[in-house]
Amino acid sequence: MLNVALAKGRLADSCADIFIKCGIRAQILKEETRKLVLETPDKAFRFFFVKPADVPTYVEYGIADIGIVGKDTLLEAGADLYEMLDLKFEKCKLCLAGFPEKREALASPHLRVATKYVHTAKKLFFSRGEDAEIIKLNGSIELAPLTGLADVIFDIVQSGGTLRANGLVVLEEVFDISARLVANKVSLKTKAAEILPLIAKMKEYI
Amino acid sequence: MRYFKLPAGVRDILPDECERLDAAEETLREKFKRAGFRSVRTAGLEYYDTFANIKSSVEQSKMFKMTDKDGNLIVLRPDMTLACARIAATKLGESGAKLCYFSNIYDFSAGGNSDREVAQAGVEIFGEEGALADARAVAFAIDCLKAVGLREFIVDIGHVGFYKGLLEESGLSEEAAEEIRGYINAKDAVNCEIALKRYGANEKAQTAILALSSLFGGAEVLDEAEKLTDNALALSSLAHLKKVYAHLKELGADKYVSFDLGTVKSLAYYSGMVFTGLAEGVGAPVLSGGRYDGLCAQFGKDLSAVGFAVGIMRVLRALEAEEAKKC
Repeated sequence: MLNVALAKGRLADSCADIFIKCGIRAQILKEETRKLVLETPDKAFRFFFVKPADVPTYVEYGIADIGIVGKDTLLEAGADLYEMLDLKFEKCKLCLAGFPEKREALASPHLRVATKYVHTAKKLFFSRGEDAEIIKLNGSIELAPLTGLADVIFDIVQSGGTLRANGLVVLEEVFDISARLVANKVSLKTKAAEILPLIAKMKEYI
Repeated sequence: MRYFKLPAGVRDILPDECERLDAAEETLREKFKRAGFRSVRTAGLEYYDTFANIKSSVEQSKMFKMTDKDGNLIVLRPDMTLACARIAATKLGESGAKLCYFSNIYDFSAGGNSDREVAQAGVEIFGEEGALADARAVAFAIDCLKAVGLREFIVDIGHVGFYKGLLEESGLSEEAAEEIRGYINAKDAVNCEIALKRYGANEKAQTAILALSSLFGGAEVLDEAEKLTDNALALSSLAHLKKVYAHLKELGADKYVSFDLGTVKSLAYYSGMVFTGLAEGVGAPVLSGGRYDGLCAQFGKDLSAVGFAVGIMRVLRALEAEEAKKC
């Protein structure tokens, strides 16, 4: 049996579609339920529903053999696992954003950056040799430049609607984000007969 | 009852668990002894300079550092292979040795979700080179995992020479190579491709390096890999692995073996074949080893060497997982 960690919410729905296309009896994923563990009727797959940020953890520890999670979460988690496939859905961009006049401030010696992605932001500015003050927020990141908490924000941008509504613009697109299929480093080898055909099939439907 | 905390990343092993740990160690001790290994206990404290001056995979940030009375920096033993190489090169005065150890190593950077104190049982073979010696080391590793009771495991074999060869062709800088190594290790083909294009590696090397992340499986991957390159080092590495595989067949160990040319461990001290033992139910390797010719030379005496270490606590976890599966 293959254990699969899935992020609760929208992503799980897209995952269900692709699994069903691949011939997996994953209809159960479409049902309204509060259960956290679901098995396919043929017992070939077991799905765990976890918070997106916990998908890399479940896979790294080998509790889940594979998982599906956004690249943004992977970048932030820095977990030791295999990134097998770009599923090309849930596309968005990790961007630096702020008021248009802050464009020049990006190179300022001490930039204040508000973000959920603390590790990724630290790595980004470290790799550029710039000092930045990273301010950790858990939501409504766009509020930070409006209230003067930060100069810019570092966050995912899908449609840009929230940015526009608050007078902010994308200053720089930094990373392309999409959903990725990840695998535990041991499971890929010990359960190769189950995982590899699945990946091959999923490739056809991307 | 009063409660005393332990620092992050370490723990006590209480009698029930310790019994199982001791039993596993006893099995391995007997196994090592019968195979002609002699046991060593290396010093728990060493000078920081010893590790700073050697090209090794032990990063500065991974060592527990303290200041000695005379102001010198000392560290808590960070790696057993380095300690054994130092002993074989500087203290034994022979052209070969078979050493084994049962020791803890300490990893400062771990903690939180990984252990900072790691119990290892390992062997190091000095003065034996060639494909047969490599095959024997792998076969012995398989034997040891069987002896402690594991049933469902594989030993995954790679070779650092293959990647080194591809790098030679690519014209990549050392910095670029290190970044790309990270992507290959994660089998992250997307970022690997982006980085290769950005650093402008030559076309043929790009294709070959990109293919690395899918070059794993049975012995057939060695044939596939051959078609990707005409670099001499890369090809000789593949030829070597084929010989190792043929010997493993003779030794009857081939059914536990798989290959992964995309396992690119830190190039710092491994020089040839590398291998990891993977067991179901444990998300990380239970065994790790490889060939490190050239390390002893850095301690002043050129000895070829191959060895491996078993992570005993992980083996116990794998055994538990196997038992749980049976019920």
